[in-house]
Formats: sequence, C-alpha cells, structure tokens
Amino acid sequence: MNKNKEKLLAKRYSSEKRFQFLGKSAIFMALLFLAIFIFKIFSTGYTAFQKTWLIVPVNFDAETMYLDANPSKEDLEDADYFEISLQSMFNLDKNANEKQQNELKKMVSYFFEREIKQELINDPSLLGKTKDVYITASDDLDQVFKGNYPRDLPENQRRVTDYQLKIFDQLVEQGKVESKFNLSFFTYPDSREAELAGIASSFMGSIFSILVCLAIAFPVAVLAAIYLEEFAPKNRFTDFIEVNINNLAAVPSIVFGLLGLGILLAVFQLPRSTPLVGGITLSLMTLPTIIIACRASLKAVPPSIREAALAMGASRMQTTMHHTVPLSMPGTLSGTIIGLAQALGETAPLILIGMVAFVNTIPGSPMDPAASLPVQIYIWAESAERGFVEKVSACIMVLLGFLIVMNLFAQIIRHKFEKKWS
Amino acid sequence: MSEAPHTVKSYEEELKNLNSNIIKMGGFCEEALGKAVQAITMRNSDHAESVIKDDEKIDKFETLIEQQVVNLIALRQPMAIDLRETVTALKISSDLERIGDLAKNISKRTLLLNENLPKNLVDALVRVSSDVQKQLKSILDAYLDRSSSVAMNVWESDEKTDDLTNLCMQEVIKYLKENEKNLDDGTHLLFVTKNIERIGDHTTNVAEQVYYLVTGKYLEGDRPKGTEPIVTGEK
Amino acid sequence: MRKNGVNMIKISAKNVDVFYGKKQALFNINLDIEENQVTALIGPSGCGKSTFLRCLNRMNDVIDICKVQGEIVINDFNINDKGCDVVRLREKIGMVFQKPNPFPKTLYENISYGPTIHGMAQSKQEMDEIVETSLKKAALWEEVKDRLHEPGTGLSGGQQQRLCIARAISVQPEVILMDEPCSALDPIATAQIEELIDELKKEHTIIIVTHSMAQAARVSQRTGFFHLGELIEHGSTDKIFKNPDNIKTQDYITGRFG
Repeated sequence: MNKNKEKLLAKRYSSEKRFQFLGKSAIFMALLFLAIFIFKIFSTGYTAFQKTWLIVPVNFDAETMYLDANPSKEDLEDADYFEISLQSMFNLDKNANEKQQNELKKMVSYFFEREIKQELINDPSLLGKTKDVYITASDDLDQVFKGNYPRDLPENQRRVTDYQLKIFDQLVEQGKVESKFNLSFFTYPDSREAELAGIASSFMGSIFSILVCLAIAFPVAVLAAIYLEEFAPKNRFTDFIEVNINNLAAVPSIVFGLLGLGILLAVFQLPRSTPLVGGITLSLMTLPTIIIACRASLKAVPPSIREAALAMGASRMQTTMHHTVPLSMPGTLSGTIIGLAQALGETAPLILIGMVAFVNTIPGSPMDPAASLPVQIYIWAESAERGFVEKVSACIMVLLGFLIVMNLFAQIIRHKFEKKWS
Repeated sequence: MSEAPHTVKSYEEELKNLNSNIIKMGGFCEEALGKAVQAITMRNSDHAESVIKDDEKIDKFETLIEQQVVNLIALRQPMAIDLRETVTALKISSDLERIGDLAKNISKRTLLLNENLPKNLVDALVRVSSDVQKQLKSILDAYLDRSSSVAMNVWESDEKTDDLTNLCMQEVIKYLKENEKNLDDGTHLLFVTKNIERIGDHTTNVAEQVYYLVTGKYLEGDRPKGTEPIVTGEK
Repeated sequence: MRKNGVNMIKISAKNVDVFYGKKQALFNINLDIEENQVTALIGPSGCGKSTFLRCLNRMNDVIDICKVQGEIVINDFNINDKGCDVVRLREKIGMVFQKPNPFPKTLYENISYGPTIHGMAQSKQEMDEIVETSLKKAALWEEVKDRLHEPGTGLSGGQQQRLCIARAISVQPEVILMDEPCSALDPIATAQIEELIDELKKEHTIIIVTHSMAQAARVSQRTGFFHLGELIEHGSTDKIFKNPDNIKTQDYITGRFG
C-alpha cells in the first residue's frame, strides 16, 4: 500500500518535471526562431543604412557650363552640368577608350549630375575651381564595397566589369571611396535604382492609410460595441450579429481587398492606388478587431459600477457615458492600436486595390498614389538587383520598429490609464 | 428541543451536555431532599451527614453549569430555543443549588433535634415534604420531556404546598406551646418547615423556567398562594 | 394586512411574484415596511431576499428575463405601474451594495454625482455643502476631509462602504436599501456601519439584507425570514430571535437548517 503510494508520488513528480521541461523547451524553440529571424534580418539589412560614395574631383568650369563670371541663381539652376559631370568621371582614367568611358559613367548613379549641381548651388564661389565631390556609387559598386558581391565570378556573369573594378580599387587605395549613413533611404521615394531607392513614399502611404483607417474604423466600431454591449436587447438577432462580427474578424484579408476593388474602385470610382482606398479597406478589416476589443473592455467594467450609477438614478445613457465608456477606454484604445498595427502589416488587400504600383513621388495627401511599407517590401523582394536584398531587410526593420513602437504605446496606455477597482 | 439537529455537531453536544447536567443536578437535589426528610422522620443521622457532605457536589454542578452557559453565550451566540435553553439552564441551576442548600440546612438542624417527636408533628412534616418531593420530581421530568402542561401543574400546585406548610406550622406551634423545653426543637422545626416550603418555592421557580423554555412565554399573574401563613418566616 | 398603530407604513408589498424566465423566484410576498425603522431580511442563500430588495427600486429591470408581478406601494404609489419613472424612483430609494463599489473617481465626484445628475445644487458652494453633510452623516468626514480630491478607491474597505452610503444619502432618499453591506468588511468596520445604520434610521427607512443573523438582531427592529422564495415569517426582531412562531424560522436562526 505504502510502496504503491510512493511510486505514485514519484510518478506525479516526474510527470510534472516532464511537463515543465516540455514547456521550457517550447519557449526556448520560440525564442530561438525569433532570434534566428531577427539575426537574419539584421545581418542582411544593417548595410542598407550605409551608402557608398565616390569622391571625385570636379572642375566647375564656367565655360563648359555656358555660364558667365557672376551667374545669377537662375543661371546656376539652368546651367548645363552634364558635361562637367561626365568630364570629372572621365578624368578618373585619362586613357580610357570610349567603351571604358561608358563604363566609368556607370560607376555612379544617374543622379550624379544633380549631386554636382547641388554642390555648386550650395556654394557658387566654387565656379571655376576644382573640388572633390561626394557622388553616390552605383548599387553594384556599393555591394562590392560592402563585400556582398562576389568578385571571383567570371566577368560575363557579373554586372561590374573588370575595368570598373580596377578603377574602383584604385579609388579605394587613394581613399576616395567612403561609406556614410544612408539618409536618402528615409527621404527618397522608391526608385528602379537600388542606390537611390528609399522608403519615404511607402512610409507616408502607410501613415495616411492608418490615419484614414483610424478615422473610419474607431468611431464606427466604438459606437457599434457600445450599442451592442450596453443597449441592445439580448435576443437571437443580436446573437446573430455577434457571431457575424466574430466571423468578420476571421475573414482572410484578401477578401477585404476584393471588396475594396469591387466596390470602392469599381462602384464609387475612388482613385486607385491611394491611401484613402487602402485606409477604407483596412478599416473594414480593423472594424471587428476594435469592436471585439471594445466589447471585451466594456464587459470587463465590473457590473457593480453600472449598478452603482443606476441605483443613484442615472439613466442608462448617463451610466454608459459617465462611467462605463470612460472606464473601458484604455482597453479599447490599446485594442485599437493593436488592430491598427495589424492593418499596418497587411499586404494582400493593398495589392488588390493597386497600392502595389511603382510610385516615385512622396504623397502629400491620402488622395495621392502611394505604396505602403509591407507592399514596398513585396515590391523590392521581387526586384532582381542585388542592391534590393538589403533594402528588403532594412524595410522590414523599419516596419518592425514601427509595430513595436505602436504595441509599446498600447501597453503604456493600458497600464497607465487602466483604473484599478477593488 | 427542535426535531432537526444542529448543523454544527459540537454545538448540539454542548447543549445536550448542559441539559444532562441539569438533570443530574436535579437528581442530586431530589436525593438530598429525600435523605433530609428521612433523616427527620426516621431519625437517621447518617442520612443527614451524607446530605451535608453531598451539598458540595451540587455546588460544583452549579459552577459547572454556569461555566457551560457562559461558554455557550460567548462562543455560540445561541438564538431562539437554544437561547432559552441556555438562559433557563442558568436560572434552574441556581434554584437547584438553593434547594441543595436548604436540604443541607434541614439536615444540620435534624442533627440537633431530640430523638422523640410527636407523631402528628412528624406526619404533618411528612405530608408537606412528600408533596414538595413529588413536585420536584415531576418538574424535573417536565424539564426532561419539555412538557409545559406538567410545568403549569407544578406551578399551580404551589398553593397546596403553602396550605400544607401552614398546617405543619400550626403543629409546630402547638408543640412549642406544650412545654418550655420544646423551645430549641420547636425553633429548629419551624425553620425546617419553612425550608421545605422554600424548596417548594424554588421548585415553582423551576416550573416557571420550564414553561418559558418550552413556550417562550412567561407564566403570567401572581403565583397562586395558599392561606396567609400564621407564622411569618424571615420575609 | 397587519395594522400598526405606532409606525407609519412606508412600503407595502402586496402579492409580489417574481419570475426569472420560467423559474419563479418569489411567491406571493406580502410585507409592510415601517417608516424610520430598520427592517432586516434574512434567509439562506437563494431564498429571494435580495431579489425582493431589488424589486423595491426596480433594479431587477436591468435583468432582461426578470418579471415582477404584484403591487409595491410606496407613498401611495405603485412603483410597478407603467407610469412610474425609474430615475425618480431611484432618487427616492437609494441602494448600498454588498461589495463597496465607489466610482473610480475622486471622493468629491463620488458624492457629487447623484446631486449633479438630479440637478440638486445650483452652485459650487451648494455642492460643497451637500458633499460635506453627506460625508458627515456617513461618519466619514473627519477621516477624508483633507483628501476629497483623491480617488475613492484608495480608501479602506470600510471607508469605501461608508463612502457608498454617503453617496446614497447625498440625494436625500426616503428609503435606503442595503444588500449585505458588511459582508466584505472586518468586524470593526462592520460595527461602524451598524452604528451608522442606527443613526440613519432617524431620517431614512432602512431595509437591510444580511446573512449574519447576529447583525440582523443587532441593527433591526423588524425582521422578515425568507425561505425558497416565500416570506415565512415577519415580525419584531426580538420576537423572531427569542421565540419565532414558525419552526422553519427557528431551525434557521438556531443553525439547524437542512
């Protein structure tokens, strides 16, 4: 009898230990996956925040630019910089033949002319002098410099020619190649050229979409939730509505995209590819999330508070507006933020309503065409150029950072404003 | 007591224990009274001495019951029937203790009495004492059976006891008048008679308590009195 | 109906039946509540005493499936009539709940809420007075007068319950319903509330539901015993606790039930 008992006890303890071990290893696995994911993203993405610059001496020769000695501002704007820009590149190798000169030109981004122009506009006294100017290197050289590009491939399989590599190595030796923080990644819109591509347009697109989504989804969802929770009679019809709100939350997001495409674009003729349409579509998706969060936090308000107010002679409306709703706001808001964070990461419906289009301008309002961060990731991930690989990771990092900040904000709201009731 | 037992068994037991202590104490009082009366009528000084000795037991019972009652009130907060049970136990026990004291007093006086007493005097004493004994017995039974009607009977028969006491008193006074030598014995006998009568009074008190215990009501009106006593006692 | 020569009848319940859906919770309750007296309702859990209490200020309206039949007459007015305005009824009949439930707002706002929604104060000064007198009547003023603008949830349990009582009396109700007001409190806080109840009965009629028979015995003048949805016995408290007529009442108060 006693032995049996001891055996049983040992069994119970060992099963508990086993369970704890399994639980711990599950957590370990989850953390491991997360760590691998983050490591992968960061290790490929961090280089995108650096940009390679070639330092090229430029001779701001007034004659070549058809300028007189004291040009006005307009003159400087209108001057022809192409020739001096080209010359400064050709000067890197005075003996280059025509084919090589063409290769020299391709060592920098097609923006080089504008960079040289900006230099002179910033300092007109440079006219007639020679100065070292920072010029954005082409994405291929950028990758070479960052060590992401294999040099040992045969030349015909590379996008960088042997000649370009030779000149580049010379420049590196002379200390004429520099790596600096890539500000343009944040300030430039998307571009076909990896070295010039930035997230400004998609970032603004995301912001506008989220604002539209918030402006539509929040009031509608909160009103619906308050009515359902506090006023609607509990009968089969409201049960039916409740079930369907939960169903709505489970609908795949692409279906909402089709809805946006079929109704917002086709029927209401709203402008394609705009954050307005994107935001409305996302708001449909976010609506059930906010309703559910708001109802949950209304439910969490203890009935004793409602009873207290009712017993004081407050009407139902007063009870709801004076007590229940203010008390449920922290939960509702954090639920809303989490819903918005979900919407922020949504890709499929936005692709369907055309926010996948290539947009190389920064949108100024929700009515301008724009991309969004996750769609931008999708676009870049599809691109062939090696330079976009790190951009994808960098963009993911920005998106993750955005989401983390939003979730943090939700947590802070929840903890700071949640009332403690005894 | 009510039909259903208490949810808390130890409470139930405490009340039962209190109850049985009252019964036991009543039994000792009955025995003391019986022996005290026998000591006079049968001139048995052994009985008298044992009554004097055993009074201590009755006193101890009173203390015990008092403690139990205080404990019950402090720890159980009895209500309704239980409250009446507890409170009446306290009062009955103090009446019984007085009965014990009076029996002891009778016995003490018995030891001082002469061997030979007139028969008619003894007969009168026997009449009153056996009446009181009968009442004490029936009220203790009534307590055990929770019978309000028996309690009422006992209460009403106090009248008869008073009459018998008066008759007995008259016999004693006659005896006193016979001879100056009878002064000592006569005085003792007066007190013995009075004591028996007072035992009867205490029995009536117990009857009142039993009635209250069972019905929750007080026996109203003056207690029935017999003819006014010729010889007044201490009161 | 029982006549009472000394005390006015404040509330008179006649043939009150309550149903939760198909289940009947109260059966034909007839009970008169006397003015300026404390009436205690006792009985085992689920006996319907709280349900009856909540009929008196129609708090059962909140429960969809709850249906009340019969007459409850307060000031010659049947509150189960269709014409009865619940908001005004509850202004006249305050309620204190089992668990202290102050609003998660400041002490001042807790008290001023009722007078505000009923428009009882014309100025800030008047409101200050109402808050002060309510807190004084609830014997809480001395303890909290320096922190009126701190949250009410920061008080101890007993103080919170007294705050709730102060909140209830801020609108000067004629009747105060108390649903086990001390069940979450320690004995000292309980004693303070009981003392308060004794004071309040001078101006208000009080009906208290309690599980503690000792408390019912201490605070009330009249007691009603409910069992399985029926009012088994009601009468003066000392009669009920010394010598009840009904054997069920006796079994319950002596702890022999079931």
